[in-house]
Amino acid sequence: MDKLTIEEKNQIKLERLQTTLNRAYKNVPFHRNRFIENHLLPEAVVSLDDIRRLPFMDRSHLGIHYPYGLFAVPLRDIVRIHTASGTGTNPSISGYTKADLMIWQKLVARSLEAAGVTSMDILQINLPPGLANWGRDYKDGAENIGASVIPNSPLSLHKTLMVLRDYKTTTLVTTLAFAEQLMDYMFASERNPNEFNLKRVVLVGEPVGSDQIKNLEERLHVDVWLNYGLSEIPGPAIAFECLHHCGMHINDDHIMPEIIDPITRESVPTGQKGELVLTTLSARAFPLIRFRTGDMARFLTHPCECGSSLITMEWLSERTDNMMIVSGIKISREQVILYLKDALGVNDPKCSLRKIRHGGTEIVSIDLVLDDSLFSDEIKNLEKLMINTSDTLAELVGVTVKITLTQKRD
Amino acid sequence: MAVQGVSLSVREGELISIIGANGAGKSTLLLAISGLLTTWNGEIFFQEKNLKGMSPPAIVRQGISLVPEGREIFSPLSVMDNLRMGAYTMYRKGLKTQVKEDFEMIMEMFPILRERANQLAGTLSGGEQQMLAIGRALMARPRLLVLDEPSMGLAPKIVEMIFSTIQRLRQEGVTILLVEQNARAALKIADRAYVLETGKMVLEGSAEELLVDDDVKRAYLGKDYGSFYDGRD
Repeated sequence: MDKLTIEEKNQIKLERLQTTLNRAYKNVPFHRNRFIENHLLPEAVVSLDDIRRLPFMDRSHLGIHYPYGLFAVPLRDIVRIHTASGTGTNPSISGYTKADLMIWQKLVARSLEAAGVTSMDILQINLPPGLANWGRDYKDGAENIGASVIPNSPLSLHKTLMVLRDYKTTTLVTTLAFAEQLMDYMFASERNPNEFNLKRVVLVGEPVGSDQIKNLEERLHVDVWLNYGLSEIPGPAIAFECLHHCGMHINDDHIMPEIIDPITRESVPTGQKGELVLTTLSARAFPLIRFRTGDMARFLTHPCECGSSLITMEWLSERTDNMMIVSGIKISREQVILYLKDALGVNDPKCSLRKIRHGGTEIVSIDLVLDDSLFSDEIKNLEKLMINTSDTLAELVGVTVKITLTQKRD
Repeated sequence: MAVQGVSLSVREGELISIIGANGAGKSTLLLAISGLLTTWNGEIFFQEKNLKGMSPPAIVRQGISLVPEGREIFSPLSVMDNLRMGAYTMYRKGLKTQVKEDFEMIMEMFPILRERANQLAGTLSGGEQQMLAIGRALMARPRLLVLDEPSMGLAPKIVEMIFSTIQRLRQEGVTILLVEQNARAALKIADRAYVLETGKMVLEGSAEELLVDDDVKRAYLGKDYGSFYDGRD
């Protein structure tokens, strides 16, 4: 499909957009009502630009329609259900049908092939629990190519290094946090990269600066490829780098991107930066229509040497929302504070959030100010409360949470 | 059936299928493509040329041949004469030698037509008539062969035979648009397919994807609707 001309691809995109809108209108009350409110029926969409007449979706809609309110097929057609942490009190749930899984498998295979992965490769996956679904998708995609897959099992740095060396892993799919800590650990334990067969690292979960990539490439003797995905919808390989590293190719024959000004919500001229908005074109179970990702990006206009007609973008490190990316997982600060309020029974917990690296992963560290509303005579009770709170929070957001009590500064 | 907001495409060498129930709008689409429907809005392009406003014969000359629903062969004419009618545009271009080659090719593809060459077409069985209708369309050496419900009213064995012929044509490089109610047979040989429902396209995908799609199974592959209950207790 990526060998199509741009005109052929745009034709297919329009066809798929129309079928997606028809299915959403027919099967999902939320989408149907929004069409009606906007006095626009799906059949009025006759060009790709017509998509601009449709309203946006964001993460809050996924929470409001928890759990299955945005599904476009009967539940019995669903073969996999996936949970992401969401932004409010509800997690966001998405699902796949059999056909969805087939398509994702092909898209992930496409992104791995673009990084040079073949049936001769041994591919190892190391992703945190919050990205476990991506781990499954990478396993499926790599198996589709015929590579040997070591499925996702979050191991310690020491064990990972052992598997990397003994199993002769050639390709590692992981987060920046893990890759960098692995590299440091390798050097600290006096292991020379020459002992390993590792050829490439596929990084997922967050935008990575060129200096960080260069550092990894030089010290580990590997090529680094960046993949873009969303944890809310099933799909780690929405965009990927090809051998020419000319930017990230978006699988826009299946997921249509737009870039908008986050304030005015209007499309920005091609090449200008803005918020990435995505519309699924082939997803059966869980269609997203103009989903605001919160990620900043800009479209690149120069054609890539690989000859692909897929749109390319640069993924920027800024965000339009108040989320922090920890170990590749997007975490909503509001959600954490909302939860703290409930758990501690205080109206306005004074706290600050930051991420720290620890044991191959990143964790959320919360500094919580111990004021009168929290204070308890029994240190034991206080400790217990903190442990319970951090455990439940960790389950909610998908990464380890550490709460440190700090003194009130007057 | 009113058809609205519908887009589809066939690339050179592809075998594309449109599946859908009776009254979904499949025939309306084909009438528009073949120039038999005159009032519609939109655009139909064939090899960069806009077909809008062209007469049916002009569209045939562009290289689109239709095998109509219900065969529509000329019953009072012989099998041979039916094929000659199909070669009308070739004769007009003075391509007699090519027509001869085509006769041979079609007789080789459907040996039964050689046996019945001088028989009146109306006396053929349904399956034989379908072969004749396909043969007649091929006589124009189409760039795009459009088939409307070729399986209609035929026994399963004959359907299988007709479909393996369609598959063979595709392998020989003929581009095909196949409109079918028999989704299972169509998806077995198609590269991609569209599902048309009450005048709208509701699905597009590779045949492989559509064959595992539960919606397609329920509606077109004869799987029972059973307990259509969304909740699970």
